[in-house]
Amino acid sequence: MRQAIVRGDPSTYPDWFDGKRRQRPLIVSRWVPIAMVGLPVAVLLAIVIYPTVWMFYHSLRDTNITGLFTGNHAYIGFANYATVLGSERFQDSLIHLLQYLSFGAVLQVILGTVLALILYEVVRSNLWRTVILILVVLPMMLPPSIVGVLWRFLLTPSNGAVNQALLDLGLISAHIEWFNAGISLWSIIIADVWNWTALPFLIVYSGRVSLPPAVYEAARVDGAGQWKVVRRITLPMLKEVIAIAFILRFTDAFKFVDLVYVMTSGGPAQSSELPTYIAFQRGIREFAIGEAAAYAIIIFAISAVIVTLFLQYMKRVMRAQGLA
Amino acid sequence: MARLVVEGLCKGWDFPVIDDLSITVEEGEFLVIVGPSGIGKTTLLRLVAGLESPDRGRILVGDRDVTRVPPYRRNVAMTFESYALYPHLTVARNIASPLQARGLPAAEIRRRVEEVARLLRIDTLLERKPGEISGGQKQRTALGRTLVADPQVFLLDEPISHLDARIRHELRSQFHTLEDLRRVATVYVTHDYAEALSLGDRIAVMGNGGRLAQIGSARELFEQPATLFVAEHLGQPTINALEAELVDVDGRLEAHVGSLRLPVASSRRDALARVGERRATRRVTIGLRPQHLRPADELPQGATLEGRVDIFEALGSTGVMIVDVGGVALTALTRPERTFDPGEMVTLAWDPAALHFFDPSDGRNLLL
Amino acid sequence: MAGEAGFEHRWRHVRLLFLAFLGLWLLFTLFPLYFMAITALKTTAETNLTVPTFWPEVFAFGNFAAVFAEATNFDALVDSFVIASLNTVLSLVLGTLAGYAFARFPRQAGGENLAFWILSNRMFPPVAILVPMFFLFDSTPWGTDSIWSLVILYLVFNLPLATWLMMVFFRDAPPELEEAAYLDGWTPFRAFFRITLPLVLPGMISVAMLCWIFAWNEYLFANLFVGTDVRTYTIVIPTFTHGSQTLWNLQMAFSLIAMIPPVTLFILLRRYMVRGLSLGVVKG
Repeated sequence: MRQAIVRGDPSTYPDWFDGKRRQRPLIVSRWVPIAMVGLPVAVLLAIVIYPTVWMFYHSLRDTNITGLFTGNHAYIGFANYATVLGSERFQDSLIHLLQYLSFGAVLQVILGTVLALILYEVVRSNLWRTVILILVVLPMMLPPSIVGVLWRFLLTPSNGAVNQALLDLGLISAHIEWFNAGISLWSIIIADVWNWTALPFLIVYSGRVSLPPAVYEAARVDGAGQWKVVRRITLPMLKEVIAIAFILRFTDAFKFVDLVYVMTSGGPAQSSELPTYIAFQRGIREFAIGEAAAYAIIIFAISAVIVTLFLQYMKRVMRAQGLA
Repeated sequence: MARLVVEGLCKGWDFPVIDDLSITVEEGEFLVIVGPSGIGKTTLLRLVAGLESPDRGRILVGDRDVTRVPPYRRNVAMTFESYALYPHLTVARNIASPLQARGLPAAEIRRRVEEVARLLRIDTLLERKPGEISGGQKQRTALGRTLVADPQVFLLDEPISHLDARIRHELRSQFHTLEDLRRVATVYVTHDYAEALSLGDRIAVMGNGGRLAQIGSARELFEQPATLFVAEHLGQPTINALEAELVDVDGRLEAHVGSLRLPVASSRRDALARVGERRATRRVTIGLRPQHLRPADELPQGATLEGRVDIFEALGSTGVMIVDVGGVALTALTRPERTFDPGEMVTLAWDPAALHFFDPSDGRNLLL
Repeated sequence: MAGEAGFEHRWRHVRLLFLAFLGLWLLFTLFPLYFMAITALKTTAETNLTVPTFWPEVFAFGNFAAVFAEATNFDALVDSFVIASLNTVLSLVLGTLAGYAFARFPRQAGGENLAFWILSNRMFPPVAILVPMFFLFDSTPWGTDSIWSLVILYLVFNLPLATWLMMVFFRDAPPELEEAAYLDGWTPFRAFFRITLPLVLPGMISVAMLCWIFAWNEYLFANLFVGTDVRTYTIVIPTFTHGSQTLWNLQMAFSLIAMIPPVTLFILLRRYMVRGLSLGVVKG
């Protein structure tokens, strides 16, 4: 509603104007907003920044559990980082992470987008749309421990429901060993796809619903075919929405570790470990604090780059929408 | 009741918006502030209301300096361009809001809300929500909310610009007759010059740089515009403004526009001569209102010009034509019953005494 | 014209193909849930058959009662409920304050970059947080195994979410309404409660529900921090065993019960939740 104000020519600006804001606010004291923001910032400093600094400190020291409590730990430079980066366990876990991100996050966004567009374009009845939407989104409401337990149960090799169903349908002739090395990570990915494809689906579907119908009427008048309309109009207009869904899934996937705990505990033989999992195991279960800290800081640094890029993009999208 | 005094008000953000602005609005006066969009009119109202605080200057309501008083203690009422009705409250509770803020008893609130609603003819809508009423009704509700507060100063920001023509006219006449509005100092902001001329006891024209271009009655602004800006924005159709050179011809003064030779009335000659002594150049911008340029038979005493009709529009109450006079396009008015065809030759007459002279560099009226 | 008809014809086939894909996906989505439901109704013996059954031979409705025969199971739900609710209240109160400041006084509140920093805390893996916090809580008198450790830790993801979303919702509420209230004579404090809060209430409820669901469903922190004195239902579910035998039927019955709150909330509030789940970018 507020119009842009005429700025005029800077050379004609009057003497009193120096571009500084010096007046005190009239409505609330300038300390009120600072206090309002200060509380959560203080909380986050205490529970996020303090631990991160703590971790960085110990990543440079040979801290173990006794050392932590006696204060007996020495500066060892980047030795912990060298240990971590040089270990096969870490390198393998990075490959697992990449595998998981491409199938866990990328595949989910593609599937979610396709399903959302199918639901909107092909299903015409509003009631059916709502029913299908709720059914598709149901798994997302489940906690990882239920998802993990459920899929461990379903994928039980000897008498699990999935193997039995596949046998009954004649798709396989022998039980698949879902939790053997090389397959167990795939089992986790399947469970995660089941759990989280609903998020991009829901976001893209809602984005599609809120696209203005006028654009489509124009396309219909032009006689463009359905597929062309989707490719030329819908997808470009949903670009930002899909990107946001991807960002959300990607950052969540980067944090992901729950199902590893519930379904495989990283096994067998560390074949389904993710870096985060190792960091927790080394830190809280095996008390190799220094090494765990190095893991944590490495993961933190990688995600800092990714999160910064994502937030830059989000800032742009929100500006374009007038939200920021 | 009290008057509103604004003294040397300055306000800027990344750039200056209000520059050294001083206005006094007397008790009972209806001042209209008019100017193009984005010139800082709304900012001025927000400063007076206390929603922004000025970089410099003072604001007084009566004898009280309210410059540093927050809006909720100023006793100034304001309507917003967007109406700003509370969407979750009924019309009645919207209107009651200022009374509730003052903690009046419920019965008293009901009585005064109903009184104001009757006055504004929205008494049948009191139980509706803002989402369920029309634009005109919303504006009346917003107006009711300010009237009921019984403030010392009324600020009205573009109250009728978003309404359609019929309702706009109806509400405009209401502003003439609402006694509560006419009793206190009222500042009314609009970008519509016709609205300004119709409503204002006085009219303040805001110009570029957040400065006041001119303040005065409708007649003063129309007949003696202080700047070309004022002359161009007030009056329909827009004044004919032409770059001209003043030339002495046989002891008479003429304004030359291309091949056109326009005689200057002798009454203006001496004044222009005095101004001319201070100026290095004799270039001026002349202004001639279409009202003072008519077919020769409608204005028998005037000086004449020959031209060819380019465009003719019959507007019902008047006719407007654009005439090519020696390569210069001039707008002229005719009586409503006449018609002209494009391409037709026409003799126009004009009143040399109605000619305005402006400085081409800063637009000031040279004769004021 | 012929091309048009050909297209229509083709479209019918493509449509069927798409519907089939959607149907397959629904099968993939619902089969596990179906199997979960029937397992919850099987006897323990039937869950351990070498060839699993897809319809219970005997309906063992007693499973649901059996879940709660064990008092600790009910306690786990209570612990989860208390932790999720306390954390939601904290997140919402702090998030509302900060979100309002960011929306109305962006400059004084530290600007856009601070808001984005707060949001970024939700996106980082908690890997750098848990180990130090574990030893920090461990050194306090009440240790890691208390509801407070989780109530506070869950702020790591819920406080940024609540702050960010409340900022988005407050931005939706036009500031002019508050200004009109000031001119009516309401102080900022009273104008906030009278005018602004009712307007953002739907948003606030959806934020509360999201925070609550995230805390209710949390597993990782709970798994690492609590387990003896305090047990959330999420860490109890994987431990349903009798001797060496997993009690799948009770596990599934308990899961079904624990699913009820988030699923109900989603069905009721899905419109509002989309806005929250997409961090405010997609209007539901």
